[in-house]
Amino acid sequence: MPLWFIRGLRRGVITTRYPARPDSSAAALPTPPAFRSGQLTRDVADRIVAVCPSAALARRGDVLIFDAGTCTACGRCGEAAPDAVTSSGEWELTAAARSDLIKEIPILGERL
Amino acid sequence: MNEEEAAARQLREAIADQFGRSLHIRTLDTGSCAVCEQEIRLLSAPHYDLNRLGFFFTPAPRHADLLLVTGSMVRAFDAAARKTFEAIPGPKVVVATGACALGGVYPKDPFVHGNVGEVLPVDVWVPGCPPSPLALLHGLSVAVGRLAERTSGLTFIAGGDG
Amino acid sequence: MNPLDILYGAAGAWLAAAVAGSLAGSWRPGLRACCVLSGLGGAAAVAAGGWSLVYGDTRVVTPGGGATIVGGPVQLQLTSLAGVFVAVLGIVAIAIALYAPRYHQPAPGTAIYLAAYNLALLACLAVLAAGGMVTFLVAWESMSLACYLLILRHPRRTEVARGAFWFLALSEIGFLLVVAAFVILSVKTGATRLDVMAARGHLVPGGWRAAAYLLALTGFGFKAGLVPLHVWLPEAHPVAPADGSAFLSGVVVKLGTYGIALFAFRLVPVAGSWPGLVTMGTGAITAAIGILYALRERDIKRFLAYSTIENTGIIVTAFGAAMIFHAYRQPALAAFLLIAGLYHVANHGCYKTLLFLEAGVVEHATGTRDMDRLGGLVHRLPRSAVIAFIGTLGIAALPPLNGFVSEWLIFQGLFQGFRTGSHLTAILIVLAAATLGLTGGLAIYAFVRGFGIPYLGMPRTPKAAAAREPGQPVAGPALLAVACVALAIGAPVMLSALSRTARTVTGTSLGPLLLPGKLTVIPAHTDFSAFSPTYLTVFLAAACAVPVLIYLAGRPRAASVSVPVWDGGMVSFRPRMQYSAMTFSAPTRVTFDALYRPSVSVRRASDEDPAGRSGPVHYEAQVTPVFERYLYRPVVRAVEWLADAIRPMQSGDVNLYLLYVFLVILLAYLLGAV
Repeated sequence: MPLWFIRGLRRGVITTRYPARPDSSAAALPTPPAFRSGQLTRDVADRIVAVCPSAALARRGDVLIFDAGTCTACGRCGEAAPDAVTSSGEWELTAAARSDLIKEIPILGERL
Repeated sequence: MNEEEAAARQLREAIADQFGRSLHIRTLDTGSCAVCEQEIRLLSAPHYDLNRLGFFFTPAPRHADLLLVTGSMVRAFDAAARKTFEAIPGPKVVVATGACALGGVYPKDPFVHGNVGEVLPVDVWVPGCPPSPLALLHGLSVAVGRLAERTSGLTFIAGGDG
Repeated sequence: MNPLDILYGAAGAWLAAAVAGSLAGSWRPGLRACCVLSGLGGAAAVAAGGWSLVYGDTRVVTPGGGATIVGGPVQLQLTSLAGVFVAVLGIVAIAIALYAPRYHQPAPGTAIYLAAYNLALLACLAVLAAGGMVTFLVAWESMSLACYLLILRHPRRTEVARGAFWFLALSEIGFLLVVAAFVILSVKTGATRLDVMAARGHLVPGGWRAAAYLLALTGFGFKAGLVPLHVWLPEAHPVAPADGSAFLSGVVVKLGTYGIALFAFRLVPVAGSWPGLVTMGTGAITAAIGILYALRERDIKRFLAYSTIENTGIIVTAFGAAMIFHAYRQPALAAFLLIAGLYHVANHGCYKTLLFLEAGVVEHATGTRDMDRLGGLVHRLPRSAVIAFIGTLGIAALPPLNGFVSEWLIFQGLFQGFRTGSHLTAILIVLAAATLGLTGGLAIYAFVRGFGIPYLGMPRTPKAAAAREPGQPVAGPALLAVACVALAIGAPVMLSALSRTARTVTGTSLGPLLLPGKLTVIPAHTDFSAFSPTYLTVFLAAACAVPVLIYLAGRPRAASVSVPVWDGGMVSFRPRMQYSAMTFSAPTRVTFDALYRPSVSVRRASDEDPAGRSGPVHYEAQVTPVFERYLYRPVVRAVEWLADAIRPMQSGDVNLYLLYVFLVILLAYLLGAV
């Protein structure tokens, strides 16, 4: 009997049940950032806009425009501004309208 | 809102009716780095196994229901992409996947459109660089109406819903 | 009034055509007149041949009251065995008569050509109507010489002289052997009339009978194209004009098979089965080798020449199996296979001639015979393409056309090898059937290539793209296409006529063992199989109608979109992306490597460039000419060596010659004294 058959029997079923049940390995996936509006200032925003290699971030006045579709989850914005940027943990990002992926994050840091 | 939700649900049901049990996917690489293709190929592996959901890959556009596009739509590929799209008989769904296909990484320049939507009418967008196989499964399930999309409800603001 | 009388009319028409051709062939009206006469002769021949199938053998006639030729009497008799061949001769003559006016340019060479062609027709007729040995041999040799002139239509072009020489040389060797065979029979039976020779066949001792038959098989095999005696076919066919090649393949090669049939069934019915086994084995090997070499040819006419060799093999296999069954006392099966072989003769005469004439049209329209320089001719020569397609379906033995019917009959005869009762023979017959099966499959492959590469796809060169239909001959090939279809649908008629021929030749009446109903054919035994060509045709036509009906009944109600054929999304499809003739048949080259022994040479520009820069790559692949190299060249060298050894005798020294004279006189004295 081939060894793989025995190994397979021992290991059991490894196929994921996704999308019927959540998959535990999803926790390790790199995900786009989430922003803390309170920590964002215009300087911080400009800094993270400059550092994004994929042009996913832009600043328009007091609003940070974030295109979740263009984001590659590289993490450079998180390194540039660790207080303001954290990982969102969201990876189910499918959208039927492209505009649904473009989010506006208010820059509230200077108010505080 | 109720009307919109009802219409969305009707559309979802109509799509699920057509494609719910078996969907044939034709992949199209319009100039990617091939990592998206590796993730797509991983879908056939035992761990993710897209066949159990009724999805199948086919090389022939005539047999396909869904066109899965990766890459930043190099201009030299326009004619071939349009030909592939036209060769798929309706009803069909176009899914653009990967940051490149959605307009990131490579801006529009003389060689590249940057955004697949410039050439093909895209119905569903699946971000990621590369989109993990789980994200792809989510994207395909949304495309066939089995799952509702959640992105419109996300805010990407920490401490909020995002 | 008997069929022979109609043949006099045909002969007269052809003689008149030869005269008209030689006098007036250099002008267009003369060319037309010659062709009209030739066609009339052909019509007479068809009538005579068809009638003689049911009439039986005519009496032996000595025309002109005791005329002699070369010291021997002229004796004519039209047997029904020859009737099939006469009918084929006739229809080929009619088709070529319709074809020639548009094909040939009026020129001095045309006059000689037309005269030679019509004399060749006359000579073939004389061979088939020969009732005596001398008539047969004189006619045979005249036919060879006339065909030699035929091939030499353009003597100054390259390769023409070589092709004609091969034809003549092998014809002469064959003629020698045929003469030897006839001489043996004539001496042993004491007669020169063929029917008397046949009647007294039992007087010939067994060893001499076998020798005569083998000499005849080899001698006629040179003409028929049995392997390894076939080498003249691929050399002579490409260089002759298209209608000359058509005539060679359609009629002259068949005369070789007629000679074999004549000896096998009339003159030398040899007891014992081994001559039949030898014949059948040679036929089967010929068929396989013929089609294998055909698959490596780019020249359309060489390809068709090898296909002729394949079909000769099939016919000779059928004749050989008939001989075996006759030896094992299965007269019904022997008659059945004889019928099948003769049917294949008729079929091949029609579709091979058609294909050669179409090859001529293609050559005229595009200027080349090379398949790899053609393509897309179905759009530029539509009528020729349709006609060539019918011929291709016939020769590939696809239902419902005539090639399928005759090959089915041959297979059904061979499959009943178990009825011989001898295990070894049955196994050998099954091996022959398997070889024919291989041949049939390869023939379909070869003719998909032979029709698809030149006619379908995109033109590979500007010359092919510039081909035009107006002015090309269509009537002649169209007539042959109609004949192919008629032979298929009218198979029951043809078979009942041939069964009467078989009764005349072998004495066995098949009747209900062949055609129990009006339309069904069974292979000589009721418990084996059955087949109806007519029902098959009707069924296939109905089956083709089913998709049409489905479409009409269930036409989609949604708006339909017309989109181009999916071609992989290619932006510009270039002709050089298509299959070439050689790559299409590359799988056979790989599989049958041991037979072809291909020699491949690759020269890369980068190998010779000092800096290793890349450039053009020169690739050349050649099939080793096995028979020329290992059989003919040693024989030629041996003859040359012998000639060199004898040359000192002819030194030119008068004194030596005087010595010879003296020695001979001395010898004569001594012999006289003793």
